[in-house]
Amino acid sequence: MTRIKRDAIAYLVIAGFSILMLTWGIPTYTPEYPGYGASPALVPNVSVGVILFMACLSLLRIGVASYMNKSISADESEFPEDMGESAGFTQVGRVKLRHLFSTMIPCILLVVAIEYIAYIFVSFIFLMIFQYVIGNRKWIQSIVVSVALTAVLYIVMRYGFGVPVPGPQLF
Amino acid sequence: MEMIIAGLLDSIAPASLMFIFVGVAIGVLIGAIPGINGPMAIALFIPVTYYMSPLTAIGFLVGLNKGAFFGGAVSAVLLRTPGTPEAAATSWDGYPLTQQGKGEKALRMALYSSVAGDFISTLVLILIAAPLAAVALFMGPAEIFALISLALTVIAGIGTNSIGRGLMAAGFGIMVGLIGTEPVTALPRLTFDIYQLGGGLSLIPVAIGLLAFSEILLQLEKFTVKGGGEHTIHVFSSKLKDRMLSVKEFFASTKTMLRGSLIGIGVGAMPGLGAPVASFMSYDQAMKRSKHKEEFGKGRLEGVAASESANSAVVAASMIPLFVLGIPGNLAVAMLMGAFMIHGMQPGPLLFIENAQFMYGVYGSLLVASLFLLVIGRFGLRFFCKAVNIPAMILYPIVVFTCIMGSYLGQSSMFDVGVMLAFGFIGYYMRKFDFSYVAFLIGFILAPEWERALQQVVIISEFDTFMFFQRPVAMGLMALTLFVIARTFWVGINKGRKKQLVEEAAAEAGQHKSD
Repeated sequence: MTRIKRDAIAYLVIAGFSILMLTWGIPTYTPEYPGYGASPALVPNVSVGVILFMACLSLLRIGVASYMNKSISADESEFPEDMGESAGFTQVGRVKLRHLFSTMIPCILLVVAIEYIAYIFVSFIFLMIFQYVIGNRKWIQSIVVSVALTAVLYIVMRYGFGVPVPGPQLF
Repeated sequence: MEMIIAGLLDSIAPASLMFIFVGVAIGVLIGAIPGINGPMAIALFIPVTYYMSPLTAIGFLVGLNKGAFFGGAVSAVLLRTPGTPEAAATSWDGYPLTQQGKGEKALRMALYSSVAGDFISTLVLILIAAPLAAVALFMGPAEIFALISLALTVIAGIGTNSIGRGLMAAGFGIMVGLIGTEPVTALPRLTFDIYQLGGGLSLIPVAIGLLAFSEILLQLEKFTVKGGGEHTIHVFSSKLKDRMLSVKEFFASTKTMLRGSLIGIGVGAMPGLGAPVASFMSYDQAMKRSKHKEEFGKGRLEGVAASESANSAVVAASMIPLFVLGIPGNLAVAMLMGAFMIHGMQPGPLLFIENAQFMYGVYGSLLVASLFLLVIGRFGLRFFCKAVNIPAMILYPIVVFTCIMGSYLGQSSMFDVGVMLAFGFIGYYMRKFDFSYVAFLIGFILAPEWERALQQVVIISEFDTFMFFQRPVAMGLMALTLFVIARTFWVGINKGRKKQLVEEAAAEAGQHKSD
């Protein structure tokens, strides 16, 4: 997939999301106009309107360029593995879905499990799994990092800030 | 006068001094680690400041930010991997010096230039912020609304190559910032019947997700996809003249430092430009004005001084728009603005009236942080150099777990951890598709204030749509906003045309050659 095709799909998704918000999200979940001041829906509508307008404009630009059979610029017509940093903040490139999910899933499981199982156990298991996912196969190092981090954060939260750790309290 | 003395005394109270010191030390350490920068550090540590007094908290975060700016130079000089984007220019001359065994000397120059730039900039902030804020007090809601509109437009261009995508990101940020209780009706808005959203989304999980967690997701690609990315460090020379900076070498760069500081102050005071612009401009000027242009990029100390003095001068100068107008000029200041708000203070000209003692305390903290940066950098340089060698396999689990627990700490809520993960996911996609998360965050922070100003304009003017035309400053600012948008589009179109013409000419030339 070229970068242009990917951008076009992204703009389509954004435009679809904006239309959904304008037709359903904002009208349904915004209080009615109280009769004074600006309508509570005004600023949300304007901000989503800007998003929709810019997405349509970008789609139009891509459409016109495709219709005239001209590439917008050389770097947009092909899609290298990684485009590198852009303006120092973004890292334009291919989305690595497998990596993304393998990293996110342990975190999501932690959030769910910590409600039912004590912090100390869940955190230790999470850190062990997480280190395995990122490729750490040094078991002693993994255990030391997991135990130390779990203990340090427990002590800092419980005794430093006086905040109970999440989940059922063991002691 | 009493206020000034009381404020300055507050800043040198033992607790303040201790936390500023700790903040600077952690900042340098974090900045030295490639991939972790100042705004990310502030996002991670804001939850910790919940348990501090407002002045101690701001002093700690300011110290963290100042330390991280210098810390970025450590990895830039030693590894050619700038810890922060603004340290990129530092690596051009710093790394060649390291290759010659003069890494320690380069770092000393970076330290002294950073402290000089930071100190001069702090003095300028102290001298001009309060008088400018007094003028800004005459601004009404119409001017504030117009000013925030202008700021959002200017800021939309940061962190992306396309203002279109920047505006989309800012719009998304505003929409997310409006979730919660609507100010006029006091009823929930855009909460989608999720009761935890009734109070709005907290800045901490959103910022940690977008800044820190998404960055870690990106950096982890090296390990889960490409299979590792360790680095090697160069060894320092043991010769004293290669390690220490002589008085002659220091004074040879003072002019460059002063110029860099002034550039940094100018750039920092303007919202939207940021420290990388300042350091590149200063480096460029230093090279153009030097008698030894050919030595730049091969290990010239002046190059390091130019970049570091400019980027450090941005730190205090970027607080000028924050204190005078209540508008963050860059991401780090946006995070500081969030910290002010968390501690119950709205940055802007009114702070000088309502919390004068606190403001002078902040000034004192800024000066103390500069002093601590010099002390910590001078005596801890070798220790901080070791930070760049922390194995990633140990570092990343620590950062990820800190992100999770930091998000929880703010309101002791696992819902916030879920929000952090969601915004980490969104941030990852935003970076991959070149959407500016900086514009998103600033839109998110400014949205409530923007809407409040609009509501005030509508209520005061009783729906008079010509309100803006009756206020010349507001009208001027709105005109400037439209001009910025039009100009950016025009430049974008011209750039595209130029590129196309060049490609066509190149293709034509190629055809002629083959004929």
